[in-house]
Amino acid sequence: MPTDSEGRRRIVYCVGEERSLRDVLPESEAAALLAAASRAGLRGVRVVDPGGMALWGSGDPGPPPGEGDPRRLILLEGEPAGSVVLSAGASRGETQDALLALLADTLTAIAHTNLKRMLTTETHTEVVNRSYEELLETNRSLSASEQRYRELAGTLEVKVRERTEELTRAMAQLVQQEKMASVGQLAAGVAHEINNPLAFVTSNLRTLKKYTERFLDIIARYQRVFEHGGVAQQDRDDLRKHRESLRLDAISADAGDLLRQTLEGTERVRKIVADLKGFSHIDEEGEAPADLNREIDRTLSVMTHEIPAGAAIVREFSPLPVIPCRPGAFNQLFLGLLRNAFQARQEGLRVTIRTGVSGDRIRIAIADNGPGVPADLRTRIFEPFFTTRDVGKGKGLGLTVAYDIVTAHGGTIIVEDTPGGGATFVLQLPIRRGDHDKIR
Amino acid sequence: MIEYDSEEQRMILKFVYYGPALSGKTTNLLRLHDLLAKEGRGDLMVLDTKDDRTIFFDLLPFFLVAPSGLKIKVKVYTVPGQVQHDATRKAVLQRADGVAYIADSRRSEAKNNAESFGNLERNLSIVGIDIDKLPLVIQYNKRDLPGILPEEEIRKAWGPTGFPVILSSALEGWGVVETFRTLAERAYDALDRRHDFAGTHGLTRESFAGRLVRRTG
Repeated sequence: MPTDSEGRRRIVYCVGEERSLRDVLPESEAAALLAAASRAGLRGVRVVDPGGMALWGSGDPGPPPGEGDPRRLILLEGEPAGSVVLSAGASRGETQDALLALLADTLTAIAHTNLKRMLTTETHTEVVNRSYEELLETNRSLSASEQRYRELAGTLEVKVRERTEELTRAMAQLVQQEKMASVGQLAAGVAHEINNPLAFVTSNLRTLKKYTERFLDIIARYQRVFEHGGVAQQDRDDLRKHRESLRLDAISADAGDLLRQTLEGTERVRKIVADLKGFSHIDEEGEAPADLNREIDRTLSVMTHEIPAGAAIVREFSPLPVIPCRPGAFNQLFLGLLRNAFQARQEGLRVTIRTGVSGDRIRIAIADNGPGVPADLRTRIFEPFFTTRDVGKGKGLGLTVAYDIVTAHGGTIIVEDTPGGGATFVLQLPIRRGDHDKIR
Repeated sequence: MIEYDSEEQRMILKFVYYGPALSGKTTNLLRLHDLLAKEGRGDLMVLDTKDDRTIFFDLLPFFLVAPSGLKIKVKVYTVPGQVQHDATRKAVLQRADGVAYIADSRRSEAKNNAESFGNLERNLSIVGIDIDKLPLVIQYNKRDLPGILPEEEIRKAWGPTGFPVILSSALEGWGVVETFRTLAERAYDALDRRHDFAGTHGLTRESFAGRLVRRTG
């Protein structure tokens, strides 16, 4: 197919093809007119082409038309396309002249009309055919382009799916890291808390070890004296001197205190470990019935070292129904929210934890009197990676973790203003959940 | 693109009146038909129209015989200006030997003029005609109306193209014959180079244009 310099298809059709008289004047129409003219008195009339060749006649007998015979031109597009000729010997007169002129004009008019009709048809057909071909061509190229886009869309979907999976994995990993970091921070605090009693327990035990050596020493001396059978004055003096040198009276009094303190220390460690265990629910797999008031207390107890000095922690607990949940996850949630609250301000901090039942939901509000959360950030703070802290100071996942835990339980979490200033995080958790809401 | 049959000694030339819808292409042909002598031309053929708008084309044929005996038929066509008839425009434009571009002088039509001329350039390219070699005449029609572009603005815009620009009012009948004559002369120059009109056929530029543009009376 020919194309132009810019690669467009060139069309190779054209209207207005040249036509001869025979093309535009069918014999049926011409012959009928000639016959009519003959009946009207124009006998022996013929139509000849520009070369003088006879095309049609009236059917009357007579010699072929000659040069000098009377004739009138038939015009086609202004060009002489033939003539009507009255053959020699035919009767002639004014009537015949007028009829000959009328016949020529009529044939010219019929030729004109027929040509016009043919041009119309020709153009119409050409345009329809061409439009159809162009539509086919357009359809072909559109189909091809659709196919391309379809393929692209197909691979795009796969690519998007791959990327999404990648991102989901990375996100899950980050969330996990966040949880670990949160617990890690807790562990550091707890370690510090355990270290204290552990230090004095160790110190006490060292002292008690020395004391014990002295007790054993004096006991050995008594034993030797008794085995020799003598309780002579000399022996008694020796033993007294020795007892005094060992300061047994003082250490005997001290040993009891030390033991009591040591037991207190180990008791503290035991309690911390118990709290931690309770907090983590490390022995429980999946869901377990839990009293969230108790869980909040457990969380608070492992966080004592994180509570700023002089802070007021107000518990406004109402009895809560026991609900099945993953207490470990919830404690992680409380840990995060409480930690946020504890960091709300340095001095004069007041954190109010209010629990209660509202309709078929448990409502837990943790309010601080810190700077609060600006209205335009209230939905954004739960978005992954959203943080107002400086770069490197927080990943912006803490509240995302909280949000995930609450929504996984079929609950909601929002942040509001604390009356008088500060932020209040409000959790609403369904007391009963449909099976489909079961925590994953 | 000329149709030339050396055996039959016949040549068919095609001139096309192109331009935006309602710029006066058919009126140009009607005026030519009225203003030029019946001798040497056929009747104006107006193919079916709808609401007086050209759907197919109009055709005004001319016929002349050169001193050499060469019969020359000049068919002057209009194209439908409405955008949707582009296929017809292409069909009519095919093998054109000269184009008269009829623009509407009104300032409000400047955009339509530009689009139509763009369409002409594109269609010429599609039918394989080099616009730089095509005899082309620009007519700014409707000079009788208010709100028209001033002449200097038109001349300034078209001056660099080298195309002759003729102002007209087809309605009032002026500028129409001049446009046709200019087109005929430019077409003659192109044909003379290829077919030696003057030498071989004894047909001068003056007589060619004069035979086509014979005024009545």
